[in-house]
Amino acid sequence: MMSTTTSLPAALPRAPRLPLRGLGRWLVIGVTTLVVLLPLAMIGYQSLLSAPFFMPGKVVSLDAYRFVFDDPDFWFALRNSLLIAAGMVGISVPCGALLAFLMVRTDLPGRRWIEPLLLTPIFVSAVVLALGYVVAAGPSGIFTLWWRHAFGPEWWDVYSLGGIAVIAGLTHVPHVYLYASAALRNLGSDVEEAARTCGASPLRVARDVSLPMVMPSILFAGVLVFFLGFEVFGLPLVLGDPNGYLVLTTYMYKLASKLGIPSYHLMAVVAMLIVAVTFPLVLLQRRLLRSAGKYVSIKGKGGRQVPLRLGGWRWLAIGIVALWLLLTVVIPVSGVVLRSFVTQWGEGISLVDAFTLQNYRDIFEQDNLVRAIVNTLGIGVIGGALAVGCYALIAFSGHRRHDAATRLMDYLVLVPRAVPGLLAGLAFLWVFLFVPGLKEWRNSMFAIWIAYTVIWLAYGMRVVQSALMQVGPDLEEAARTVGASAGQVSRQITLPLVRFGLLSSWLLVFLIFEREYSTGVYLLSPGTEVIGALLVSMWASGATDLVAALSVINIAMVSLGLVVALRFGVKLHD
Amino acid sequence: MTKLTVQDIHLGYGPVQVLQGVSFNLKAGEVVSLLGASGSGKTTLLRAVAGLEHPSGGRILLDGKALFDAAQGLNLPAEQRSLGLVFQSYALWPHKTVAQNVGYGLALRKVPAAETQTRVQAALDNLGLGHLGERYPFQLSGGQQQRVAIARALVYNPPVILLDEPLSNLDAKLREEARAWLRALIVKMNLSALCVTHDQTEAMAMSDRILLLRNGRIEQEGTPQELYGAPQTLYTAEFMGSNNRFEATVEQAGGNTVKLQGPGGPLLAQGRGALRHGDKAQVVVRLEQVRVAEGPGPNRLPARLVTAMYLGDRWEYLFESGDLRLRAFGHAPRETGAQHWVELPAEACWAYAG
Repeated sequence: MMSTTTSLPAALPRAPRLPLRGLGRWLVIGVTTLVVLLPLAMIGYQSLLSAPFFMPGKVVSLDAYRFVFDDPDFWFALRNSLLIAAGMVGISVPCGALLAFLMVRTDLPGRRWIEPLLLTPIFVSAVVLALGYVVAAGPSGIFTLWWRHAFGPEWWDVYSLGGIAVIAGLTHVPHVYLYASAALRNLGSDVEEAARTCGASPLRVARDVSLPMVMPSILFAGVLVFFLGFEVFGLPLVLGDPNGYLVLTTYMYKLASKLGIPSYHLMAVVAMLIVAVTFPLVLLQRRLLRSAGKYVSIKGKGGRQVPLRLGGWRWLAIGIVALWLLLTVVIPVSGVVLRSFVTQWGEGISLVDAFTLQNYRDIFEQDNLVRAIVNTLGIGVIGGALAVGCYALIAFSGHRRHDAATRLMDYLVLVPRAVPGLLAGLAFLWVFLFVPGLKEWRNSMFAIWIAYTVIWLAYGMRVVQSALMQVGPDLEEAARTVGASAGQVSRQITLPLVRFGLLSSWLLVFLIFEREYSTGVYLLSPGTEVIGALLVSMWASGATDLVAALSVINIAMVSLGLVVALRFGVKLHD
Repeated sequence: MTKLTVQDIHLGYGPVQVLQGVSFNLKAGEVVSLLGASGSGKTTLLRAVAGLEHPSGGRILLDGKALFDAAQGLNLPAEQRSLGLVFQSYALWPHKTVAQNVGYGLALRKVPAAETQTRVQAALDNLGLGHLGERYPFQLSGGQQQRVAIARALVYNPPVILLDEPLSNLDAKLREEARAWLRALIVKMNLSALCVTHDQTEAMAMSDRILLLRNGRIEQEGTPQELYGAPQTLYTAEFMGSNNRFEATVEQAGGNTVKLQGPGGPLLAQGRGALRHGDKAQVVVRLEQVRVAEGPGPNRLPARLVTAMYLGDRWEYLFESGDLRLRAFGHAPRETGAQHWVELPAEACWAYAG
């Protein structure tokens, strides 16, 4: 008994029982559920119709499925998708794991400036990279010509299935790198030093100790890359076209032109089939992440991290990193940049003579291209900020709560991840056409924005949540014990503390929105041009000069964002 | 015969000098402890010997061959030094079984599988772990993990074994048993060992010689008896035991015994360092040297017993004499609040300049 208390504790003013209290949270949860599931439901519904949903004669049937399953092109595309996805895993997992080990655990020189370069392929859109490979290493690519001149016929073919798989694999190395490096950062150095003193060389240490210990994370990244393999669109669109290699996404994209009639029902079927492959993989990933902690029951003594001395091995290590950077970043980016500044190239054409700025002048003379640049900046800056606001609302609705709604949201944010951007754009198009009252919005940037925001929900939630998690639970619990309600804690304690985290999330979302290309493809209309989607449609029309120049402008925007992010010390990954 | 020679090792991280010229020798079959407070550079020194830190100057020789020589730009990587290192955290690889952990060093040395198996089993049997080969590290107790870490470091017969705080991860009771066991093992196998510890009792129990490090330099080097019984500096005296310490003024210097004016009256003490008439001196007396006497006498002062604490094997008293507080050990319960005579024996009082 607190008999010594001289006065009773001052009664807390009861938090006003506003009808809105708690309602805001449910509203957020409801809207999120709606925008995530409605497009997917739309695809599912459309796939069960015999014709596009706006056609009068449609009936519910499985005809569309029958058609697709009877189409040999579908099986060809499925086979190619499988081969490419498998090839990507085979290339990106070992390379990404090795790079992560070299970057995180060793004294490799120049790690600080290599890191942003390593992540470039994540922040440069795949169409731009694909285009870069065509102009740099394609049959009449600039580096190919040099190679032929110096060493004779080249032995590679970027238009072959193997070429596509290798390029896709190399450009997905950063995804594996991110997960493997995060895990390696949490590993104590002592287990590696123990191996060193036992007589293991640095590469043996990587093979026998460090990488096996982070195997769960690597496995996780492997599954990620595998399902990304089913979602790749830009690379096979550009590189697969000359030899007619279709993958599932390009098969779907080309269905319309193949049949010459609106074939939404068939596209929906392909979309459903892609999601049927990717969604189980996303769930598998989640399981893997859960078991990751269990696998390593005792870690080394965390915290203390001493880079492993490479000694004489450093030259080999530098060679590995440099080779990957050359193949994945330098060749395509330099190719596309060079291409944008020349009128033509080929045997015997001097690049200096062919130099021109005309490509850029042309861009600024075309209204739709200028609009695309403005729109792309706008969607990144304004749209990015709004998206981060939404992500933060969703994150707060589940922050340190453990009820059924929070668990539902955990799964819900994973759903868009299983949907390739191309499909999401299509689904949103249908939602805008189908739901009465939304038609006017269809040709506005809002349509693009909502599709972008939903498609990057999982990524955005991860960056925002990792910012929220940096606020120690003690700080929040302290506020609760002095009498703050959950909402007050969020507004008055957590939010002010995560301001910087949200700003850096904004920068990351900006980068992602700048590079996005596939989501806008079906939402492209006069007034809603964005660079990424425009590149896809212009590439089909063969305007290589403009495509190259626009790509360089896109790269410049992303680079600017990257420089700002690095300048402010934003961590590009967790 | 000298196994390991460390000469004038310098090492710094940026502007921070961690080791500022450390030299010592380790003879065959000898156990040397590197003792010091945190930040003294003891672990860094051990890691430099192991090849995990890169000193900026000095030499490290093993059996006369250089492992590290700054003058020649030679720095053998850790894996080529063939030393055995036992980590503070044990650093057992969680994805390998006990037998795989222990056998890894042999596999790296291309020892045939059959021989590896016999040697691993022998090493495990030797440490009382014979039946645990197929277990994973997390299935073992702390003490067992420590033994596995030792087995792993010994299995390829390294010329010198390095131990980084080998006992600090064990709980207090287990630590004393493990200390005796480890010392017995080292003696039985005639190992040459270099051991890092921050615990002076552990250092004294484990080693033939102790190097006390302070701010990257050796403060004092010697046998445990020398360090405990004849500390050359105030720091050593303070570090090595439980002490009473107070300030006094030198009345008469010259010779080994000095005459002081202490807070409780005149005092005879052993002078250490340059003491002159009128200087301030720091007097250190070990707790176990303070005696409770029956009446007045030289080096005795009257004091009131503030409290007596029962520690099981003895009593600890806290006396107060004016501003001076003295702690002492004894074997009898005494009445608190009463006046006693406390003797600080002249041969056990050390007076340091400062």
